Amino acid sequence: MQIRDYILRRLMVLPILIIGTSIVVFGLTRVGGSPIGIYLSHEMSPAEVAEIEARFHLDKPLPVQYVYWLSGVARGDLGWSGVAAAPVAEIFPDKLAATMELAVAAGLVAVALGIGLGTFAGARRNRMPDHIVRVLAVAGASMPLFWFAILLLIVFWVYLGWFPIGRSDPTIFASIAHPTGLYTIDAILAGSFTALRDAVWHLVLPAVTLGYGATAIIARMMRSSLVEELQEDYVEAARAKGLPERLVLRRHARRNALIPTVTVIGLTFGFLLQGTVVAEIVFRWPGLGRWMADAVLRGDQATIMAYVMFTSVLFLVVNLVVDVIYVYLDRRVVLGG
Amino acid sequence: MADARNPVHGFARHADSAWRVRARRGWELIANVLSNPTTVIGLVIVVLMIGMALLAPYITVPNTPDPYQMPRDWGAVRAPPGTPGHPLGTTNRGGDVLYGIIWGARTSLRLSLTVVSLTVVIGVIIGSLAGFIGGRLDEVLMRIVDVFLSIPELIFALAIAAVLGPSFGNIIMALVVVFWVKYARIMRAQIIRIKQSEYIDAARVIGDSKLRIYLKDVLPNSITPVMVQATLDMGNIVLIGATLSFIGLSEAGIAEWGVLVSEGQAGISAGRWWASTFPGLMVFLWALAFNLVGDGLRDVLDPRTESGR
Repeated sequence: MQIRDYILRRLMVLPILIIGTSIVVFGLTRVGGSPIGIYLSHEMSPAEVAEIEARFHLDKPLPVQYVYWLSGVARGDLGWSGVAAAPVAEIFPDKLAATMELAVAAGLVAVALGIGLGTFAGARRNRMPDHIVRVLAVAGASMPLFWFAILLLIVFWVYLGWFPIGRSDPTIFASIAHPTGLYTIDAILAGSFTALRDAVWHLVLPAVTLGYGATAIIARMMRSSLVEELQEDYVEAARAKGLPERLVLRRHARRNALIPTVTVIGLTFGFLLQGTVVAEIVFRWPGLGRWMADAVLRGDQATIMAYVMFTSVLFLVVNLVVDVIYVYLDRRVVLGG
Repeated sequence: MADARNPVHGFARHADSAWRVRARRGWELIANVLSNPTTVIGLVIVVLMIGMALLAPYITVPNTPDPYQMPRDWGAVRAPPGTPGHPLGTTNRGGDVLYGIIWGARTSLRLSLTVVSLTVVIGVIIGSLAGFIGGRLDEVLMRIVDVFLSIPELIFALAIAAVLGPSFGNIIMALVVVFWVKYARIMRAQIIRIKQSEYIDAARVIGDSKLRIYLKDVLPNSITPVMVQATLDMGNIVLIGATLSFIGLSEAGIAEWGVLVSEGQAGISAGRWWASTFPGLMVFLWALAFNLVGDGLRDVLDPRTESGR
């Protein structure tokens, strides 16, 4: 009962937060002035400018403009991207696919490595492996992503030449169809091993770069909650009845230690999403993040608004899902304010 | 925080003894913090960084007219580390990497101190209003906080800096807008917790005014988590600020670590690794040092939220 109420309440707050965010985003982009510039050219007469202003409702007061913008968004009209020289809504899906492929790959790296390293360290508390993992984790939280990316690039691209940059080899890209826009999936669908290898090869460096920070966060949480669980009475009980340490760890302690870790995994999603901006710039990955960076540098308001809105909504939804999972997993959580 | 559990404090009317208790507690605290070796490592790096920032005009020849601009030595463009006069090499445009690192520390100190002090003040005021007054005001302020928290930090700062236009001053503005929220939230939670303590009741019974209770009992007892967060943010802010600069939101050519990494990026395919590597290392060390110190402080001041012992 209580859980259902909690979820309902969170669901009711969600639209309010989304509307609040949209007001902030809209207000923010209008601080920089009217977006009319992208529609104008030097030859236009004042009458023509006024006509364009009226056509895009830019002559109306800001709240009215906001409503027009919002209804446009609801209809799927996200405006014109100056950077891409195309409507935002038209470019968005391809860029999103590129970013999602990268973020998911990085997330997989982070979850696998983070839980693995965290368990490894937590079970060997205050011994050498524990210290090493802790140092790696602390370093991960302080690592400037742009620098880590460049270091990997210097070592593995410039000096060793093991990994490429960009997202695919042009000839291999042209050799198969791309129905999903996720190159690894496309390659599997086309049954092309060459294309799959190429897609994965291009993913390695950006995914590792992006995943490192999240790995550190997850490993740290996993380690400390495992250390805590291992001191609980039920672990003693399991040991006392003669269960081998390996099973105590795997069947009992690790399962419970995973509960707080799940929350942290959810939170790293925002971290990954933000990181794509930098990882995509350095590795020349043609996704949303690099598009956003270009838009930011060239004042492409429509793209900035679409991107910030999209990431915020995604972030909110993911956080909600994570909280709900957490509440389900751990009934001890006190539901309050 | 020890104060919260010590009912004596609320009644301490003798300024002298209260002061002595505070001083002794302060020393115990410092001794505690220094007993953790990783905290000490962090502290040493922090001191070195700040020393470098403060002494920048004396250990380098400041560029004229603006020392925060990279000097350009067009006679030694793309010089590798070890070149006479350029121990860490130069960038594609003849900027001395060592100069950039030293003045970059000063830039980072300016950035982090400005942003942290502004956001702490704004956050503490707003959080205090919400927590201490409560009711409708609390509701409204916290919904605003929620909205601000629903946009990922870096992306929010990126959008704000984009709207304001590329300049280092605008990066400071953007980070202030993004970072005050956390403090407001921490402060509010603390105040709500402290408000329920017995010694606050005691002060009320004695007849202290609301403002007096706030300044004398609530504020000093709720400020420690804010200080821990502020220490961590001294690092985080430089990390995000350098990221924004790297993306291109600072003026080109200023002595800032992110700008230097970005400038050096162009040369890496030709094997010129130094112009990006050294300044990036500085960002890493700066963030690492403040994280270590912040974690150490949290272990001592706020043991309940401790993560890794």
